[in-house]
Amino acid sequence: MSITSPEIGNGYLRQDGRIGLRNHVVALSTVALTDRVTERAVDHVPSALLLAPRWERGVRGRDASLQEHAVHAIANHPNTGAILAVTHDRRAADDLALALTNCGRPFEIVTLMGSGGYDTAIDIAVHALQRLTAQMQHTPRAPLRLADLTVALECGGSDASSATCANPAIGRFVDTLIAAGGTAIVSETAEFIGSDPVIHAQSESPSIAQAILACLEAEEAMMRADGTDYRGVNPTRENIEAGLSTLIEKTMGAVCKIGTSKFVGCLAFAQKPVSTGLYFMDTPFFSPVSLSGMVLSGAQVTLFAMGVYNPSGMPLAPTIKICGNPQTLSDWGAEIDVNVAGLIGGIVTLDMAAVAITDKLAALCAGSITHAERRGEGQLILPRTMPAL
Amino acid sequence: MKQTTQTIGERISLTVDPNDNVATLLDSAETLRRAAGMDISPAIPFGHKFALIPIPRGAQIIKYGVIIGTATADIAAGEHVHVHNIA
Repeated sequence: MSITSPEIGNGYLRQDGRIGLRNHVVALSTVALTDRVTERAVDHVPSALLLAPRWERGVRGRDASLQEHAVHAIANHPNTGAILAVTHDRRAADDLALALTNCGRPFEIVTLMGSGGYDTAIDIAVHALQRLTAQMQHTPRAPLRLADLTVALECGGSDASSATCANPAIGRFVDTLIAAGGTAIVSETAEFIGSDPVIHAQSESPSIAQAILACLEAEEAMMRADGTDYRGVNPTRENIEAGLSTLIEKTMGAVCKIGTSKFVGCLAFAQKPVSTGLYFMDTPFFSPVSLSGMVLSGAQVTLFAMGVYNPSGMPLAPTIKICGNPQTLSDWGAEIDVNVAGLIGGIVTLDMAAVAITDKLAALCAGSITHAERRGEGQLILPRTMPAL
Repeated sequence: MKQTTQTIGERISLTVDPNDNVATLLDSAETLRRAAGMDISPAIPFGHKFALIPIPRGAQIIKYGVIIGTATADIAAGEHVHVHNIA
């Protein structure tokens, strides 16, 4: 990538050449049956990152493939330094061993049924996490440049301040990121309904615009087929309370976070981008789900535009909460990473707000943590498309 | 996407497209009423919209220069524009 891409700090070099912003020992429970025992093990190794996503057995088709893909995506994520995968039985463990063999970082698998007792299972998992933590100390470091970053763009608790402060601030940062050779992904298909003119104007080619518009059309067809008035669902009740009246109004406020770049592709849920640049990802609108899709596709960090407070974040990638609502900043200031309320009175320019976001990224590289990380906030949730057996 | 920020008084800011017939309140209604010389209901909260001009029932509601809905009732200039009178 471009040698002129600004360096923002020191990251963690992975075997595939990608650079991590974090070096997590991930403790992944791969079936709901082992969520609790995994959590108990992490109690003893609190530096490990717990992912216990309540995965079910009996899921079918695309849903089953997505669970498999997610294991692979987590193990190969740039922010994953090492991984402990916990499962229930030997056969599932064999499948996991195959899935993790080529992940290029230390991994261990613990099988609950093969542990000979609950306490023993916790002990085995704790020792595995400790071994992985020790091995991970040798992860090589490398400069992290904007060009190395894939950034997930999200908004939640949207209100009028999101449209005037946080989203435009993110849009200006994204302009810098893309110009430097970086990658950004925006999602939440329902929130793009009504943005057709923007999609046409900001796609690299007509076929890319068509691919994105096809996602929007499918979403609208689904809503029509239900015969339900979705006002109150999206915009949500909290959006309405905050002053947003219609979905298109919410859309237009959200869309400005893509900045002035053009879309270079349209991705399915959790699909990895094939190049740098701005991508659209087809996802449900619930933030923990859409963030899960973008982070599983390899995003190392999330920029989260917030109107009223919202605790969403996919924990594998730090979530930078950016807010311009003076009331939220007054009540929830301790949870906000970048304050852009100065944009309202013109005290702060969009360029200054974008620099504040870059500065926050540099601080995260230097070891500071986001408020969501401090709270252990965030969720990994996969969408379900078919009833389970 | 182009955003025009119009500042009225000390720190009130409305983001409007020239074609918009609604504006967003980003400060207290009382401050805005004084500053803009418009009859804005003090009950309209931060972040909510008011009509810049009279909008008859059935007319389009335009924000960001795009149609965000349709008036379901006659709306007077300065009146609160929200789910009770647009769809």
